Amino acid sequence: MCPAFGAVRNLLRMEDAMPIVISSGDGCLYGHTFVAHFYVANRPIYSPGVSSEIWAKGSAFDELRSMVVKMAEEHQPAIIPICSLCVSDTVGLPFDLLPKQIGNTEIVYVPLPAYSVHTHARAKDIVVDSLVWRLPPQRKTRAGVNLIGEIFPSDPIKIDEVLRRMGSHVNTHVPGPRWADYVAMVDGAVNAPVHPFYSESVKRMKMKQGLPFVEGAPVGIEGTYKWLCSIGEALGLDRGVVERVAAQERDRVRLAIADYPLNGLTFIVAGYEGHEFLLVRLLIEAGASVPYLSTAVNANPLAREEEKWLAEHGCTVLYGANFEDEIKALTDRPYDCVIGTTPLCAHAKELGIPSIYYTNAIATRSLMLADGATEVLGLVTQTVRSKTRYDRIARFFAEDETKLERSYTSWAPKIDITAQLIANRAL
Amino acid sequence: MAQIRENIAESELVSDVVNTPIRKQVTDLDHAGGDTGAMQVFASLRDANVVLDGPVGCHVMPAVAVINYTDSVPYLQNVTCSELSENEVTLAGTLGALKEKVAHAEADGRQVFIVSTPVSELIGATWTTEHADVKGSALFFDSHSLDDDEWKSRDRALLFLWQNREHFVVPADAPRRTSTRPSVNIVGPTYGNFNSYSDLAEIKRLVAGIGADVNLVYPFEAHSYDTVRLADAGATVVMYAEYGKSLAREVGLPTFDAPIGLEPTTAFLRGLGAALGLEKEADAFIRLEKKTTLAAWQDIWRSTHSDFFANAPIAIVAPPTYKDGLTYYLGEEMGLPIAYSAYRTGPESAPSEDVRKALQELSPSPMIVFGSINERMIIAQEKLPSLFLQCSFPGAVVRRATGTPFVGYAGAVWLLQCVCEALFDVLFANLPTSAAPPEKAKVPTRDLMRDGTAAATASGKGTNSVIAWTDEAKELAELTLKRVPFFVRVSVNKKLRSEAEKVARERDGTVDVTIVREVTARYAPNKR
Repeated sequence: MCPAFGAVRNLLRMEDAMPIVISSGDGCLYGHTFVAHFYVANRPIYSPGVSSEIWAKGSAFDELRSMVVKMAEEHQPAIIPICSLCVSDTVGLPFDLLPKQIGNTEIVYVPLPAYSVHTHARAKDIVVDSLVWRLPPQRKTRAGVNLIGEIFPSDPIKIDEVLRRMGSHVNTHVPGPRWADYVAMVDGAVNAPVHPFYSESVKRMKMKQGLPFVEGAPVGIEGTYKWLCSIGEALGLDRGVVERVAAQERDRVRLAIADYPLNGLTFIVAGYEGHEFLLVRLLIEAGASVPYLSTAVNANPLAREEEKWLAEHGCTVLYGANFEDEIKALTDRPYDCVIGTTPLCAHAKELGIPSIYYTNAIATRSLMLADGATEVLGLVTQTVRSKTRYDRIARFFAEDETKLERSYTSWAPKIDITAQLIANRAL
Repeated sequence: MAQIRENIAESELVSDVVNTPIRKQVTDLDHAGGDTGAMQVFASLRDANVVLDGPVGCHVMPAVAVINYTDSVPYLQNVTCSELSENEVTLAGTLGALKEKVAHAEADGRQVFIVSTPVSELIGATWTTEHADVKGSALFFDSHSLDDDEWKSRDRALLFLWQNREHFVVPADAPRRTSTRPSVNIVGPTYGNFNSYSDLAEIKRLVAGIGADVNLVYPFEAHSYDTVRLADAGATVVMYAEYGKSLAREVGLPTFDAPIGLEPTTAFLRGLGAALGLEKEADAFIRLEKKTTLAAWQDIWRSTHSDFFANAPIAIVAPPTYKDGLTYYLGEEMGLPIAYSAYRTGPESAPSEDVRKALQELSPSPMIVFGSINERMIIAQEKLPSLFLQCSFPGAVVRRATGTPFVGYAGAVWLLQCVCEALFDVLFANLPTSAAPPEKAKVPTRDLMRDGTAAATASGKGTNSVIAWTDEAKELAELTLKRVPFFVRVSVNKKLRSEAEKVARERDGTVDVTIVREVTARYAPNKR
């Protein structure tokens, strides 16, 4: 997957946005269109036409500008993000010369040259950063928590409910489906990046917004308690109330985890969604051993505390890891389950290890608070139990390996037409 | 599972097993009667002419109307009818009308089979002529059409053919088999059998793969006079458990069931190989298949496609062969949870109303329901979010291309592909869709801002903050989501949340039960 897709994905999910993708050519655009329509939304994807002639003539920018103006006037979306991929960013179009607003529409440049973006995670970071940078200055009177990072849609509602019992609320959640979700950040009193994902955005938010930050997320026994207490402290809420609610939620998570003991099981986790840190925490608290966490995120200050907790619990974090590192980690010891990237899972399945693709399995579930623990651990337990099936299939395909040349058509029945015609007495 | 069936137990015989119980009330019947089953067997023979002894409806319904949608055959040319009228039914009896039709068919040199129908059975009509013992003369088959279902009747008709094998006249120029290679009988299919064209092609491919010849495809590619040649083979494959075993038992060769799934197919090939002295060839073929036909299977299995299986519950409603076969293959080998399964034929057959109730009550709803048009109607009527895949009759469908088998290795690949594509369909139906113009920006950015204190006091009602949900609304939303197949729950959840909060924002309030109800009604999943 092109790293830039992380950004395209988030922008296409915005109901009031009309992203323009300046592709590097048809191969690039086709890929982005293909996966966007499969994963994200049944929505049109707009792009100016590109060719060597257009780049050489230098007409690309003029065409982009007239496209932006026409789209803004015709459709009046809240925002037109302009995703500039490898070629346009290398050519260096004068994006500064684009109007910042046309009517009520914000025009925002999002630089996404894949060769320097590297990861999905970084691309999402760039989107949030580009959008937040456009926001008006922070309000003087503020309230509530700004949640930052992808979470399951019902999670903000559940977190909001807990915070209300503590005397606060969720102010907004980004990346969200509306431009207003971003704008609402200016009213929030605390920023809470729930993944160690948005490091660059957070850096600039600190410069611009001057809000306190609370790291971590309400995941797992210790995590839930600590996060709620930290939020309470940052907002200056009543200590007694915060302590009571946090302890209640911690106990609910503990009860949920007790239903799914993973003692004696070994996992490897490889993810690029950002919450892989949180997942591993949950697995470890349920009794599993997770020697390695491979993450697409690069080592950054936001991840430091999670990493420390994981290290204390026997887990090594492989930052910005590649497939080779993951395979090496996989051969390190026998594993009972792999929750990882597509190639890692394919490899594990060949070895008969129950495997699930991180995004498909984990991103489709709540992870936060007690309900999240139940959902995720339920899935994991179910997967581990299907060991025999994975094993049986791996054995079936591995036995009698004779290095035969694979072919995709040799199975087709070879029909001797003449013989058939004779048999039918037609010849 | 494939096993050598030199002695098929009495209890396994279809005549005993398949016999639909008598019910007081029937809703949406899923099988035909004995006359249809018998007709479908006899009409399959290339030299046969079937004379249905009944009124015109008994002919036009099965041999013209239905056959066009089960087999895509416009009408069965070798089926005629005595066209009983009031006179025959009340006074004359059917013999006169029959004689005329039989004479007409015999003039074409065809082997005639007279099949009783409910009316002829009611008035006790039969066929008695002085030519009964003459070889090649018309044969009368009592189809028990009032009591036996189509499956049992097929089984009895096949046995009847074997019992009368000496009655058929072998033409002097009939081709003789000259090959000395081991050979196999394939018993079944007949007309009116779901997906049989593809299944037959796959069984032929497997038989050829281990180096054996097909002796006879009976009755589908045989003449009546070939019946006696069933004894020449080294083994018999019975395509469908619903019929053919009584015949196979009488023929007395090692007998195998057509396999559904990977392990059953492997066992089938090894078993058949052993019975024919082709063990090495069978092993070599299995090895080759893993690198060819099954390369697709292994690739899909290794892909992320298979991650969804454990959370994609399915329901299967079908006759025994497919119901048991799919349950084993999709459930055991592929790991899809079988949320519900039921036979639609035989003594354990589930009435339509039971199926409806079960499908209605399942939570989550099965992602795919394999069934007939009856299940398809239930999905539509009950507004279930399930996707429908046909795996039995009734229900109009074209299955004449031979690339859609359920049996054998190719069948395993095809079914795997079907399931994955169904998953994609469900995904597509649940992704957010918006036409070209997105939501319009009504105000400039600065007007979207609210004062923090105002946001806090109006907590949960803000124009731009997270909107509060009442406990009842949350509960209802969760109940609704539980019915949605798991892997699209995130998409549906997003859709539901965004729509409900939009309405709440417009009304400047929290999301309550009324709003959730409104939104879910608007997005009833069957709308796709």
